[in-house]
Amino acid sequence: MAKFLPPEAFSAAGDALSLLPFNFERIGSTNEYLVANLVGDFVRLTQTELDRLVDLQLRPGDGLYERVYAAHLVTRKGQQSQRQLLALRLRSRMSFLRQITPLHIFVVTLRCEHSCPYCQVSRQSSDRSRFDMSEDIAQRALDIAFQSHSPRIKIEFQGGEPLLNFSLIKEIILAARDRSITTKKAVDFVIASNLALLDDEILTFCKQNEVLISTSLDGPADLHNKNRPRPGGNSYDLAVHGLRRAKEVLGPDRVGALMTTTEASLDRVDDIIDEYLQLDLDGIFLRPLSPFGFAIKTKQYHRYDIEKWLAFYERGLRRIIEINRSGRQFREFYAALILSRMMSDRPIGYVDLRSPAGIGIGALVYNYDGSVFASDEGRMLAETGDNTFRLGHVDNDEYSSLIMSDRLVEAISSSLTQCAPECSSCVFEPHCGADPVYHHATQGDALGIKPLSAFCARQKGVMRLLLEILETPSDAAILRSWAT
Amino acid sequence: MRLMRLMRPMPPAGTKASAPTVSVTVDFDSSVQSLGALEAAVYRLIGIATCQIERDADRFVCHLTSKSASRTPLTGVELKERFLEIVCDENLRLRVAERTDGMRNVILALAFGSLASSQGS
Repeated sequence: MAKFLPPEAFSAAGDALSLLPFNFERIGSTNEYLVANLVGDFVRLTQTELDRLVDLQLRPGDGLYERVYAAHLVTRKGQQSQRQLLALRLRSRMSFLRQITPLHIFVVTLRCEHSCPYCQVSRQSSDRSRFDMSEDIAQRALDIAFQSHSPRIKIEFQGGEPLLNFSLIKEIILAARDRSITTKKAVDFVIASNLALLDDEILTFCKQNEVLISTSLDGPADLHNKNRPRPGGNSYDLAVHGLRRAKEVLGPDRVGALMTTTEASLDRVDDIIDEYLQLDLDGIFLRPLSPFGFAIKTKQYHRYDIEKWLAFYERGLRRIIEINRSGRQFREFYAALILSRMMSDRPIGYVDLRSPAGIGIGALVYNYDGSVFASDEGRMLAETGDNTFRLGHVDNDEYSSLIMSDRLVEAISSSLTQCAPECSSCVFEPHCGADPVYHHATQGDALGIKPLSAFCARQKGVMRLLLEILETPSDAAILRSWAT
Repeated sequence: MRLMRLMRPMPPAGTKASAPTVSVTVDFDSSVQSLGALEAAVYRLIGIATCQIERDADRFVCHLTSKSASRTPLTGVELKERFLEIVCDENLRLRVAERTDGMRNVILALAFGSLASSQGS
């Protein structure tokens, strides 16, 4: 009598398996498919393999069974562990929803001494009394910010150029620190500035109060000054000097820079990256223009399309990988965000990469005049006459009335990717997000028609590129190191 | 350096110089082809072509017309081929959805619904 049963006795018959939810997309004109499970783990299958998967023509030991089982595309009937694991991972990925409104943006002035043609916020150059936030409005905005349920909030100062109203910034920070003690709510501070007005007094205050600095740097001097004109034509010199001083005083990890891609940037990505390297920055965020404010009025936004931007982005990303291969650690921050989505289940609060969208529940914006908006882009739209994302006013509203407003609930619920045409069956959906303000601005609809959406084209283009690069082991190791 | 694209680029949001339009007609047996899958396929194709679907006896007749402003102008044969590929994929998506929607609901309930709290306890 044999001691062991024959191998087939241990095999699962096909009818003992059942499919788990997944999405797929044909790869180019080939008969290959990219397949992703409910939480976005990718696997490549041939058409034959996909058909076998759907028909459950699988046997342990045939290779395909092991691949699709490991990828959580099939489960054994009666087995609970895989669905519990998927549920756990899904809950973890969506747990950004527990951090309600962690970001509060104070537009302390709309005045600015720059006159950038791509300015998305429609800055103003005069009339201090009209375009500066008052102390009363600032205090009411703080009331609302501290009503949010998040145990840690970030207050970000924007403009215009916020340093033009630095006296108010100081008051807000000091008041917020007092409230932080009484409410036991942690507070972080960021000033988004062009640094032209940065001086030692401001830096000392920032040091004392642990304020982060974020600035704009579009590349080498000629490109930066062309994109960001100001009296004297010295925007680059002031930004670079401010960056260096801020790093010295605050520390290198307390200062960051962002670039915006204009038409003039498209064939300069190497120069732009070199500039960031020379300034010893740890990475770069290759950002396209947004369809708001002066970027629309001055037609900057329409000067290049998403295909050109994706070509710019691919060249930049491949250059950055080369730099990393040579031993210098330097990241592309947008890729890093998406890679974190792809390679971990940690919640990412970045507003472009989440559904439900981050408007209101991810950030509130208190405009200089007391109006409250669901996002920074929402207030940018308002400056050009579109108040769709205006939720209320600090004088009339509390946090709860803003967050529960019909306007916000409608915008969020109508833009969910999980149930949107095309998005709901998109293989990239677990790593993508809804962007109702962008789609409202470009298509007049918070959901948007995704096959016509440049946002969708950008997300898919970047993710396809990352998946392609991940096929090269040495490059994959570099990209994985970014997914922190 | 590998420059091969992983997938076919999706139809872009902007528009380019006009190209001549092409029109093709594709018909399906309505007893074996679902209208829902055809509509989903038409939606995916919206960046490069429009489609009018008519019911003619036991056939679904799809009149496809490429967009003159499309960046990727297609011949009639290419347009038909692309449409059939997308319809094929949409049919498969429907089959997968039919067989996995129940499981999806169970997982969502485990993650966020009443089952989540019962698991916790």
